[in-house]
Amino acid sequence: MTARRDTVGIVGAGRFGSALGSVLARAGRRVVLWSRDAAIVEAIRTARRSPRLPAALLPEPLEVTGDPRRLASEARFLVLAVTSTDVRDRARELGDVLDGSHIVVHAIGALAAPSSERVSQVMEQGLPTLKIGAIAGPALPDDLAEGKYSSIVVASAFDEVTSEARRLLNAPPVLRVYGSRDLIGVELASALSGAYTVALGLSDELGVAAGTRAVLITRALAEASRLGVAAGAEARTFAGLAGLGNLLVRASDRSADYELGRRLAGGAAPAAVTDAARTEGARAALAGVELAGQLKVRMPVLQGLAAVLTGRLEPRQVANLIGDSVAESE
Amino acid sequence: MASDRPVREAENRLERFNEDRERLLSEVERRVVAKKLAQAQSGGDASLEYVLNDVAYCEIRRLEAAKQDSAIERWRELSRRLLAMTEADKEDELRSLVRHYGKDVVGNFDPRVYRFATGVAPSLLGFVFSPVGSLREGMQAMRSLDARIHADGELDVVRTCAERGTLIVTPTHSSNMDSPAIGLGLLRAGLPPTTYGAGKNLFTNPFISFFMRNLGAYRVDRRLKFELYKDVLKEYSTVLLEHGYHSLFFPGGTRCRSNIVEKNLKLGLLGTTVTAYKNSVREGAPHKRLYIVPVTINYRLVLEAETLIDDYLAETGKSRYIITDDEFSRIGRILEFFRKILAHEGSVVVRFGRPLDPFGNDITDDGESLDRQGRAVDPASFVRGADGEVTDDDQRDAEYTRALGRRLAAAYPRLTVFHATHLVARAVYDAVTRQVGTRDIYRLIRMPPQQLSVAAEGVVEHLTRFRARLAAGPAWGAEHPMLADQPAGTIVDDAIRGLSSYHTRPTVSRAGDVLRVDDVKLLYYYQNRTAHVPPEAS
Repeated sequence: MTARRDTVGIVGAGRFGSALGSVLARAGRRVVLWSRDAAIVEAIRTARRSPRLPAALLPEPLEVTGDPRRLASEARFLVLAVTSTDVRDRARELGDVLDGSHIVVHAIGALAAPSSERVSQVMEQGLPTLKIGAIAGPALPDDLAEGKYSSIVVASAFDEVTSEARRLLNAPPVLRVYGSRDLIGVELASALSGAYTVALGLSDELGVAAGTRAVLITRALAEASRLGVAAGAEARTFAGLAGLGNLLVRASDRSADYELGRRLAGGAAPAAVTDAARTEGARAALAGVELAGQLKVRMPVLQGLAAVLTGRLEPRQVANLIGDSVAESE
Repeated sequence: MASDRPVREAENRLERFNEDRERLLSEVERRVVAKKLAQAQSGGDASLEYVLNDVAYCEIRRLEAAKQDSAIERWRELSRRLLAMTEADKEDELRSLVRHYGKDVVGNFDPRVYRFATGVAPSLLGFVFSPVGSLREGMQAMRSLDARIHADGELDVVRTCAERGTLIVTPTHSSNMDSPAIGLGLLRAGLPPTTYGAGKNLFTNPFISFFMRNLGAYRVDRRLKFELYKDVLKEYSTVLLEHGYHSLFFPGGTRCRSNIVEKNLKLGLLGTTVTAYKNSVREGAPHKRLYIVPVTINYRLVLEAETLIDDYLAETGKSRYIITDDEFSRIGRILEFFRKILAHEGSVVVRFGRPLDPFGNDITDDGESLDRQGRAVDPASFVRGADGEVTDDDQRDAEYTRALGRRLAAAYPRLTVFHATHLVARAVYDAVTRQVGTRDIYRLIRMPPQQLSVAAEGVVEHLTRFRARLAAGPAWGAEHPMLADQPAGTIVDDAIRGLSSYHTRPTVSRAGDVLRVDDVKLLYYYQNRTAHVPPEAS
């Protein structure tokens, strides 16, 4: 049996968790996937495919369990791949079976709904271990499942977390992992890139010109960097894999955030964007605006998007407002 | 309700210190030399030649700056010999230097001095320094010294931890009087004495030096910047903790210049806590627990307030790390401190918080670690790897210490005790700044005195509102227990008496119905103790 130190535990058999498990298992890494849903556990056992991502084949080194104790005892390194709305409950539940030696990185590109806390802050409250980190970057579940080249960054205050993530998650030629100490920056860049993906879907559907689109992207990154610096992050992180990388890949694909933006511009009534219909990017937009208020950072793009999502403004009104809110310096 | 049960068993630990001292020193020497030899294998900056040269270079620079020419030659000679030395010679030199600095650091504990300091001395000081007019009053003063240093807080759980494991007491740091104050505070709380690292500059005061040298203090020479000295110091602290000697660190590093409750802790030797616990786990003794106790020392008036705030506000913007010419260096000011401050009942409050484990986890009343959700967690797991083995990782341990520092910094505000001087300084500052439209101290300093006078009635109103906010926000701290039943007007009078009589210049004085700010810097200093309480929304 593969040693505990060489086993990756994945919490959540959703699209990203399944895709990551698939890549790692194909690279020969032992993976234990934990799902609370007995039907998913059974489906993976029997069909070797997750119902959430049927394209991903889950070969033998991947094992599935519904028992968190088994996950904790067989893997020291865990990836938390659940939605931002679930993260509090899963962290608490997982915390019952972990101890101070475990390493946990999350793959949640959002802030922890319904608050504006970063996911790692919620994990600190729910988990006994302090060795916490985040992974983020332009790695779409479908691309991973199809074995296309992707890269992510792992960030943590603990070098051990970064080095273990790089050792265990590197699966060339499909997945390469870079390291960073800027946990705050990676989390915020990743969360906000989801929000700006909604904005890009919206502007693309409105048919804005290429130059206008470029302005939107650069201004979005500039304001995200300002928020990050105010929160203690490094500005350059926002131009990296977790920020610009994420934004480019999500906006060029059929991601849920991008599709939501297009539907908003296409006439989907803003009131229809209820809590349940909100994507991670939409939730990140609302939480980001709250955080910007706390840190007193001006974010016209994000604030405009939030106004559309909450039905306070029409998409075209926002485009004008953002254009009018020109600051003296970039 | 805290019990009065003293920790007798733990109290005895320092009494065995002198017997242990040689063994402790040998252990420090063995570990530091082994570490340096292991590191030297990788060559470059870690080679013995570099290590020894670093010592010689730093010592020469220090002695040249101090114009101590006679002592320099020993280091110049070492520097000259280095190139011709064999590896064996270098190892001998390393061993000799480690022992030399170890001896310089190591403390002493004389039980007779301890009994004098904790038994006779306070009474004597109380008798000598109190403003007494008769023998009867003098006897009263002797009995009442206990009341002047007041210790409270989570005493029961701290006592339990002192018996079960080793305490690391981590107080806020305002004054050089903190060492005797915390020493007496521990005694009042029925807690054992601790060893602690004290800046070598403090040993220049012969009166204080005598007690410090004989009560377990070890010397920290902050002028010695080279790695070897830091290694010796850290290893000494680590060995003390592993051997169960209760210790005291000031995690703020140096005295807080501004009087703001410390937020950005330097941590310093606090990092040895994780190392000591890790070593115990490796030795098969994970039950040898270490407990970090947040403590605030709260003075009605601070001996060195004038120097500290001047240094903080120095226009050069470059505050001095080591101050050697402050009030603490003048025996007259120390006597004045005893006479005017310690004569005041409850003038120093030492408040003990709930202990934490080395990783910043809360603990149960029995000293078991709890995670943030209140679940039991094994502290040894924090230093173990995938297969339960103890792993070495300095970066990880430094990050654990930073996490611990954040928990300590978060604990201090709640443990802060506001004296009348703090409350009234805040009320006056609020009234003045509202009147002139700015809270910027540099602008206030430049204002003419007449602009810095406010109606006493307005100050009483500010004070009343501030007290109500404190009562509703215990996370900010609490007012002194003795103020509980006092009306705001009485508190103002009491504070003005203190603020106008002790320092060389009055801080605030009363002229009829008006309170006049005579020294806005000192006013700022005392109100800063409340700086973590945001201003009222206008």
